[in-house]
Amino acid sequence: MLDFIIAKYNFWIYVVLMMIGLFAMLAKRNLVKKLIGMNIFQTAIILYYVSIGVKKGKVHVPILVGAHGHGEHLFKAADYLNPLPHVLMLTAIVVSIATTGVALAVLILIYRRYNTLNEDEIIELRQAEQEAEV
Amino acid sequence: MKVIILIFVILSGGLLIYGTMDMPAWGDPNSPANTYVSPLYIEEAYSKTETPNIVSAVLADYRGYDTMGETTVIFTAALICALLLRKNSDDDEA
Repeated sequence: MLDFIIAKYNFWIYVVLMMIGLFAMLAKRNLVKKLIGMNIFQTAIILYYVSIGVKKGKVHVPILVGAHGHGEHLFKAADYLNPLPHVLMLTAIVVSIATTGVALAVLILIYRRYNTLNEDEIIELRQAEQEAEV
Repeated sequence: MKVIILIFVILSGGLLIYGTMDMPAWGDPNSPANTYVSPLYIEEAYSKTETPNIVSAVLADYRGYDTMGETTVIFTAALICALLLRKNSDDDEA
């Protein structure tokens, strides 16, 4: 039972982190808090993927040791961490930075127009605006 | 409303925890992710790309076109930010 918990507890931590992010995205009324929840969600997924590439034991980070100036010698796959999750999550981090930047720009525009970032207040102000037009 | 959301979040989290029961153990060197295609990259990255850092070799050599597309993503995001936040003289506080 203890072995089972030790083998799986990291995944459970990422699931809890994902639940925090999802709850923040759905339940919070402040738009900045929603955005932070989305970032927590993305971080949980990135951590999950990176943890897939971990190998226990004496392994190096995915930078080949003694590659320069030692001629041709074979590199053993068991000596290095799995590099592919790291590469793919580098791509995911870039995409998350782009979405966060655009979302913050949109939030600045919303604040300039309505002077609030609370979702309920924005909906009320918008309904009042539409009634005034009619 | 918050109670419904909390129940939904806990249900989806429980579903994911149920899914982790079939995951390989943390740090298992013989898990499918560590044995299927990644040994090929570790063994051949230096002889094919002359780069000791495998992450850079995969990012810039094997997946070079993907990284080029990624720069397009960043450029588009920067362009959108600049267009949204510019000072517009003929627009009245829209």
